[in-house]
Amino acid sequence: MEDELSFSDIYGGRLALQRRYYSPSCREFCLSCPRLSLRSLTAVTCSVWLAAYGLFTLCENSMILSAAIFITLIGLLGYLHFVKIDQETLLIIDSLGIQMTSSYASGKESTTFIEMGKVKDVIINEAIYMQKVIYYLCILLNDPMEPNGISQVVPVFPSAKPRLDCLIEVYRSCQEILAPGKATSTSP
Amino acid sequence: MAYRGGGGRRHGPSAAFHPVSPGRLFTCRTPTHNICMVSDFFYPNMGGVESHIYQLSQCLIERGHKVIIVTHAYGNRKGIRYLTKGLKVYYLPLKVMYNQSTATTLFHSLPLLRYIFVRERVTIIHSHSSFSAMAHDALFHAKTMGLRTVFTDHSLFGFADVSSVLTNKLLTVSLCDTNHIICVSYTSKENTVLRAALNPEIVSVIPNAVDPTDFTPDPFRRHDSITIVIVSRLVYRKGTDLLSGIIPELCQKYQDLNFIIGGEGPKRIILEEVRERYQLHDSSKIRVRLLGALEHKDVRNVLVQGHIFLNTSLTEAFCMAIVEAASCGLQVVSTRVGGIPEVLPENLIILCEPSVKSLCEGLEKAISQLKSGVLPAPEKIHNIVKTFYTWRNVAERTEKVYNRVAGETVLPMDKRLERLMSHCGPVTGCIFALLAVFNFLFLTFLRWMTPDSLIDVAIDATGPKGAWINQYPYSRKRGRNKTR
Amino acid sequence: MCAQPVPNTTEIRWQKVLYERQPFPDNYVDQRFLEELRKNIHARKYQYWAVVFESSVVIQQLCSVCVFGVIWWYMDEGLLAPHWLLGTGLALSLTGYVLFDLLDGGEGRRKSGRTRWADLKSALVFITFTYGFSPVLKTLTESVSTDTIYAMSVFMLLGHLIFFDYGANAAIVSSTLSLNMAIFASVCLASRLPRTLHAFIMVTFAIQIFALWPMLQKKLKACTPRCYVGVTLLFAFSALGGLLSISAVGATLFALLLVSISCLCPFYLIRLQLFKENIHGPWDEAEIKEDLSRFLS
Repeated sequence: MEDELSFSDIYGGRLALQRRYYSPSCREFCLSCPRLSLRSLTAVTCSVWLAAYGLFTLCENSMILSAAIFITLIGLLGYLHFVKIDQETLLIIDSLGIQMTSSYASGKESTTFIEMGKVKDVIINEAIYMQKVIYYLCILLNDPMEPNGISQVVPVFPSAKPRLDCLIEVYRSCQEILAPGKATSTSP
Repeated sequence: MAYRGGGGRRHGPSAAFHPVSPGRLFTCRTPTHNICMVSDFFYPNMGGVESHIYQLSQCLIERGHKVIIVTHAYGNRKGIRYLTKGLKVYYLPLKVMYNQSTATTLFHSLPLLRYIFVRERVTIIHSHSSFSAMAHDALFHAKTMGLRTVFTDHSLFGFADVSSVLTNKLLTVSLCDTNHIICVSYTSKENTVLRAALNPEIVSVIPNAVDPTDFTPDPFRRHDSITIVIVSRLVYRKGTDLLSGIIPELCQKYQDLNFIIGGEGPKRIILEEVRERYQLHDSSKIRVRLLGALEHKDVRNVLVQGHIFLNTSLTEAFCMAIVEAASCGLQVVSTRVGGIPEVLPENLIILCEPSVKSLCEGLEKAISQLKSGVLPAPEKIHNIVKTFYTWRNVAERTEKVYNRVAGETVLPMDKRLERLMSHCGPVTGCIFALLAVFNFLFLTFLRWMTPDSLIDVAIDATGPKGAWINQYPYSRKRGRNKTR
Repeated sequence: MCAQPVPNTTEIRWQKVLYERQPFPDNYVDQRFLEELRKNIHARKYQYWAVVFESSVVIQQLCSVCVFGVIWWYMDEGLLAPHWLLGTGLALSLTGYVLFDLLDGGEGRRKSGRTRWADLKSALVFITFTYGFSPVLKTLTESVSTDTIYAMSVFMLLGHLIFFDYGANAAIVSSTLSLNMAIFASVCLASRLPRTLHAFIMVTFAIQIFALWPMLQKKLKACTPRCYVGVTLLFAFSALGGLLSISAVGATLFALLLVSISCLCPFYLIRLQLFKENIHGPWDEAEIKEDLSRFLS
């Protein structure tokens, strides 16, 4: 079963959440971030080139202009390959584990897998992030030393940063798998 | 709000005091508020202001309000934490300058505070302590955002030196358009009204309180040599110098007298010198014991070891220590400064002038009263004192302030600028009016960058729809049975 | 606590206590509000002529600086013979010395325990050292430009005026610093004079006018106020006269300065006392009025 919902992130951008229910114990959530907009690309390129031209008029060194073009190209490639994430996927399989995949704009994919034995719980937590206070979904990992302790907190969808309504959808689905018998609280 | 004379039947202002009946935790008659307490001083720092904020918040939550606390980060403690009963605390990562007070540029905290006020749908901002820069910042931003403000002042200030003049000027600016101010004693009210040139009608006096279950007398106390207990920070303001004269005189006059001194500070060296000089720490019997810094939980155990509590402060707005000592059943001898004469009735406290001679006379009077058995039993003193100051009563009176404030209007921008320029003097008023304008422009810019619709509304932990209370109903029953 | 029937308000008076529940609202303002406020308890009342008399100390110092400057200028121009200055200076110092002892009838001498022989010894030591070092003093500032010397001297003399002990008990007062600054200024200026004899005489004169003259004046002020006023006026007029011979503008400005300090400043001080508002009340930090170090001595 597959469906797509539309949400927004903390900056107001559109996000698309694709939910795939493969089986009662296996679900996948795919969050697509907005693509690199032409407007922002043009703005950054123009500002870099204007700054380079400004420097050129001061120093009369034409190397600056070629350096600016070079920097812009390399910067764009680097941004697409290392920074810009197009899609983030969360695959949760009961009794196996949780896998998170990030697909970059250049096509690169990076995957993290956490086995179910290490997973203590999936929760929505609040944090202070860059002059805002945001909700984020995270996976709590068990501490082998302490039975009730937590060794690590792994945030889910770190670059998409969806808002609370999207997180609640994902959270409810995850809880149905992780703790199928427990009555989920209907607090919001 | 003038008091109208008349019988006691009407629900006049604080004419009747109904106990909060256990089955009715959410007072449906009075509206509930979303309160944000702001101060630099909060847990894990221990002190009077910190415990005041905590206890008041807990009692307000019990009365059905939503309370959150905003303070600065303490070391690694950053972010959002929850305390008992769902009290949410924001530890903001702002730089601490000196003595746990944040450095302020007046603008750098606006984005974060505005975000918090919007997401928590705060209606009233309650700031504590004049020493806290974050508290004043929050008041300033709250007024720009059109929220209602309350300020509690916990200390007394002088007027004479340059630093006092500047601080009082800043306080005048901060309080000139605050909706209501709370002081902890009548002397503190007079002091604050003079410092900030306020209208006395907008200043309420709500004293501090003490938890009587924490400070109970020891039923198995030994009736041997008389012990005088002193628990305070050993600094000049607390009159530690006077102790250097009292201790030798009394130890020489009464052979079976002992002193226990708890607390740490730069004046400790003077007490150690006195001890050395007059050889009061013989191995046979230690007459003066210096215990060093005490944890809050150990204070009661130190207090019950004594019969008389001595307070030598040179200035106090409302001395919590003497109430704690009286709650433990001790007889109190104190200097007559600040708000201390208002705190305890005359039969429970002996007041003296701040000089060695007068304090010695007071102590001798207490000792003779103790020896002749005129004093009531510690349990009796405790039972009297526990009705005087309770946190429930403080919360009830504070709620009245909130209800009153909720009905008031916040000054719009033009009136606020007018108020600043007319009330605070020509130079300061104009400077702060300019800063208020810049603040408003900055807020407009932030509202354009991150509109209010983009801010997720936080899930309440406390308040009428609080998730904490609905999820853990058993804690409600526990809270009911605890007598305060 | 149950609700009790509250009797008529006219029978219940507000009390300044916190432990009782009173039937008044928390923001009630009683007529006893601020009843313990006191204003200007320790304010002093100033008398105009007394303040003018006290301002004469400042006038004296200003005139000393002026006279010193004038004498130096004359020496520099060659209008004043150094021997004449030396002779006059010594004669006046001797007169002053005798007068100093006569004024209090030997009281100060007996108290401090200094004999005349000790005084003579220290005077001789001073003179010998100054004479011996005067060649060094003369060539001390050869490599420094004249403008710098003038600027330094002005700065030092200003400093001398600022840090001088006028009799007030303030943190800024430091009599050693002020004397040092004055002597330094004199050394700077003396090094610009034509010959070493000039330098020696200049420094000696500086010591006389900056170290010895204030002492005599203080004694005179304490013992014979009228004489002191006369001497001050004479000194001021001679300084003005000397300055007038150099520059009329300078003399006018100096005269204005003296008048404003001696007449206008006291007037302004008394006028401003009307705006004084010292607030005292029960919120003040208590002062420990006794000396507690006796317990530890």
